[in-house]
Amino acid sequence: MLKRLIESPRLDIFIAIVIALVSVTTALAAWRASAVSSAAGDAARLGLIDAVKKQAAENEDWRKTYEQASHAQTYAVTLAELESFEASNNSIAEAQAKNLRQYLLPNLQLLAEPFSTDEKYLKPDGTYDLDQRFADLKAEAPDLAALDPLASFELADQYGNEQRWLTVGVVLLAISLFWLAISELSAKRSRLIMLMIGLGIYLFGVAWFIVVEIIFVSMRGGVL
Amino acid sequence: MSEQTIQDAPERYKTSIMVLTLITTIVTSIVAGLQADANIRANNANRDSQYYAILASSEVHRTGLQTTYDLNTLTSQSREAQESLVMQITSLELQEDGNEQGVAISDVIASALQARADKLQAFSIFYTDARYAPATEDGLPNLEAYLVDVYDKANELTEKQNAATDAYQEWSSKADSYVGVLTVMAVAFFLFGLAQAAAGRMRLTFAVFGVVILLGASLWTILILVI
Repeated sequence: MLKRLIESPRLDIFIAIVIALVSVTTALAAWRASAVSSAAGDAARLGLIDAVKKQAAENEDWRKTYEQASHAQTYAVTLAELESFEASNNSIAEAQAKNLRQYLLPNLQLLAEPFSTDEKYLKPDGTYDLDQRFADLKAEAPDLAALDPLASFELADQYGNEQRWLTVGVVLLAISLFWLAISELSAKRSRLIMLMIGLGIYLFGVAWFIVVEIIFVSMRGGVL
Repeated sequence: MSEQTIQDAPERYKTSIMVLTLITTIVTSIVAGLQADANIRANNANRDSQYYAILASSEVHRTGLQTTYDLNTLTSQSREAQESLVMQITSLELQEDGNEQGVAISDVIASALQARADKLQAFSIFYTDARYAPATEDGLPNLEAYLVDVYDKANELTEKQNAATDAYQEWSSKADSYVGVLTVMAVAFFLFGLAQAAAGRMRLTFAVFGVVILLGASLWTILILVI
């Protein structure tokens, strides 16, 4: 009975069909693992691009902050000089101070905005709050401030972890294909054992793949 | 009896070879998993390395702006204070010469310059921050401490970037080595396949070569893991 089954051409056809099925499944699994790998690469690349954009924006914000601070410093120093002239009891200096206050100081104050005009940038010691100005400049571009490279990297890591486990699944499917191929070539008692091993590994591999997919897709809130 | 021996001969060692093939497939799957893992780790380290390079370059840029601002403030303050001192000396000399108008002008300019210097001093981190402020009234600001602190973050980021680059090199090298192991494992598969197909001594020969290669590849894998 067993010998007839082993030598039966129907078993040949059955194994061939199983091999075809496993081949298609392996191809699909390899495609999915590759797609996940690409998604990880995309997320990492997006994170790097976001990091460049964010840092370029921050560089510009710092440059503006220090440029404005420099103007504000010039204004404050000129004002101190002018006040010194005014307090000198020297008519020439007082006249010079009057003209400086009338003609030069407004222009310097205009250049020194917003440090010279907005009190929130003025610290109790009379200096300016550069960090506050930087924070405000950053807030002026909410789209750039909202860029979060680390979130992209986290997503890339998650895809990477999924790829790790999917690779194990692909290897399992490849192994089952190997056993099924040996089973097809063999013609003795071991043929059935090889077929059983191949089918067992295949079913385990498919179950593995499905479980990994369910876990990681649910972790991403349903995003493939 | 002898008929049975003849029938069993083609099957001899086949079960052993099957077991060896099974072991090879398991080892191969483990190595394939390790290779994928090493590759992913290399990619992550490469990404981190690039990310830290971006952060470090940005920090160096910001530090450059900050030091330019801080040192310009300090040098301006120093220049204004020295010019004020010069005008005070000039005033004294003019006083000795009896030039009252010159004295008045020199005093006004000296006061104005001192007022500028005082304001700049209020703006200077080298006088407002206790870490860098002169210990004595006539002392100098601690520029060395300032330079150490100001580049601290950039140095820290550069260290992280270097560490990530080292990790990338390490994992990339491991991933490459695992590819080598997988190639050798493919040879073991091939030899066990030949052993299955061959008979007699040839079967045993191929099986022995397959075992040697399997052991060699396993040892190589362990070395990659450990080193």
